[in-house]
Amino acid sequence: MRSRPRRGVGAGMRPGRRVRAGVRYFLASAVGLVLLFPLVYALYVSFEMPADYGRFAPLSRLSAWNYGQVVTLVPLLRWYLNTVVVTAIIMAGNFAVNTPAGFALARLAFPGRRVVFGTVLAIMMVPLQAYLIPLYLAVAGLGWLNTYAALTVPFLVYGFFIFLMRQYFLTIPRELDDAAEVDGVGKIGTFFRVGLPLSGPALVTQMVLGFTLTWNSFLIPVTMTTQKEMFVLTVGLNTLKSQYYDFPTVTMAGVILLTVPVVAVFAVFQRSIVPSLASSGVKG
Amino acid sequence: MRRRRSETAAAYVLLAPALLFLGLWFLYPIISSFLLSVQQVNVFHYSQRRFVGLDNFRQLFSDRTFPATVRITLTFVLLVVPAQTVLALLAAILVNGLGRLRTLYRTVLFLPYVTSTVAVTAVFMDLFTVHAALPVLFSRLGLPDVSWFADVKLALVFLAGIYAWMNLGLYMIIFLSGLQTVPPELYEAARVDGASPARELVSITIPSLRPFVVFVVLSGMIAAFQVFDQAYVVSGGTVLGGPAGATSTIVIYIFAQAFRYNKLGPASAAAVVFLLVVSVAAFAVRRFLQEDPRA
Repeated sequence: MRSRPRRGVGAGMRPGRRVRAGVRYFLASAVGLVLLFPLVYALYVSFEMPADYGRFAPLSRLSAWNYGQVVTLVPLLRWYLNTVVVTAIIMAGNFAVNTPAGFALARLAFPGRRVVFGTVLAIMMVPLQAYLIPLYLAVAGLGWLNTYAALTVPFLVYGFFIFLMRQYFLTIPRELDDAAEVDGVGKIGTFFRVGLPLSGPALVTQMVLGFTLTWNSFLIPVTMTTQKEMFVLTVGLNTLKSQYYDFPTVTMAGVILLTVPVVAVFAVFQRSIVPSLASSGVKG
Repeated sequence: MRRRRSETAAAYVLLAPALLFLGLWFLYPIISSFLLSVQQVNVFHYSQRRFVGLDNFRQLFSDRTFPATVRITLTFVLLVVPAQTVLALLAAILVNGLGRLRTLYRTVLFLPYVTSTVAVTAVFMDLFTVHAALPVLFSRLGLPDVSWFADVKLALVFLAGIYAWMNLGLYMIIFLSGLQTVPPELYEAARVDGASPARELVSITIPSLRPFVVFVVLSGMIAAFQVFDQAYVVSGGTVLGGPAGATSTIVIYIFAQAFRYNKLGPASAAAVVFLLVVSVAAFAVRRFLQEDPRA
């Protein structure tokens, strides 16, 4: 029970400033609404009965009918499983491959370092689409089409994540390495004893970004899978949408099922990933 | 000396997985991409490749639809990059001036970036279907009441809109972090001189953000060249690049030639042209933006 008047926005400001702050909040809210509207719309329609599509049905008429339909019309649970497995493998691989590479590039002196780092920077610039065909042929040649391997093995290494980890490892004080080395753990030991335990924020960014990029990816799964039971959610949703285009309410249920996990993960971790993503690109 | 050698060994042990995968899944395919562009290939008889010189390129440029895909892609990039850069900058300035709710607004504006292109395109197609609220609203402004994604004139604009809507938040947070680097004294000095907010924007904010603008334009452009998902979903399982080729971007063309029509040679030639176009555009934009006495 606080009776003290709160000093909120605009309290004690000159009138001109208060107006300006009001205008700012109004404009920012308008932009926010435009950006959120399609998602809110999809959520609402996903709970509408097909007969109510196109008008705004009252809340009392909403139901989860479309969600029941999605699960029976298409192998949605299988697609969920596929997406989860592929995403988990890529995240684990990204962690194991890119993190030590970033550490070596940031903290160890060795011949060839500039060449390796230059290659990493170059990879970040080359679009995957430029070598999609040979990638497909290699995967097909190994007999990997329509397997998890096709969707994961080529994507365990990711140039941007090596770069991200390197930038972070550069900021850890070097004295910690020397102290660890006095303890006789060697250079590889400093990675496990000093680098890894202190790399928390950058690791979170790598993991969360790896999650969203893989969860949402479409070009690779649509190229590498043709059998329905090997689809991931994005490819499945596209199929659902074309097959049942007469039932947009059912498609919207699919949209929501695909979107909720990424939005949830993002909501939990946004405080740590947004700042590091913002600063990673330019200051390099 | 021994210490040096052990450090090198340790470095390469830590780098080994990354180098192995980069070799197998980046260097090898990128070199193959160039080789395939001068070979005749059939996916069913992959081992029977033979060198055919520039035949694939000749075939590619004799296909009347290919130059159109280059033009469509460039138009898309020119629609998207200026729009998203300017909007992201304005949004960043707006959000930066907010008080305690700044983090909330930043999160909301960034949210579209983490959603799936397929999901978002499905929603926008639903919103922009003929007789739905939005096409009716835009028809008051003189646009036809049609399904935007199925209209030859509007389809590419529709794609550009979805694309910019999704990426606005990413570039906004880059500009937001840029705004933190502008020394506040500059604004104080400007205020003492009685400068207007517009004047502050042009004389202080934009020049101070120059490296960030270069980054956003350059990386935004390279990313926009690669547009695929939205265009694929819009075609809805029919002929890719529809309606009537209006959304046939270079990547859609490569994909269709390679995986729908089994023309791997010409498709590889198109991939090489694609890489060249992106590199030349990136190089030119970089030169243009950095040619500045103050930089």
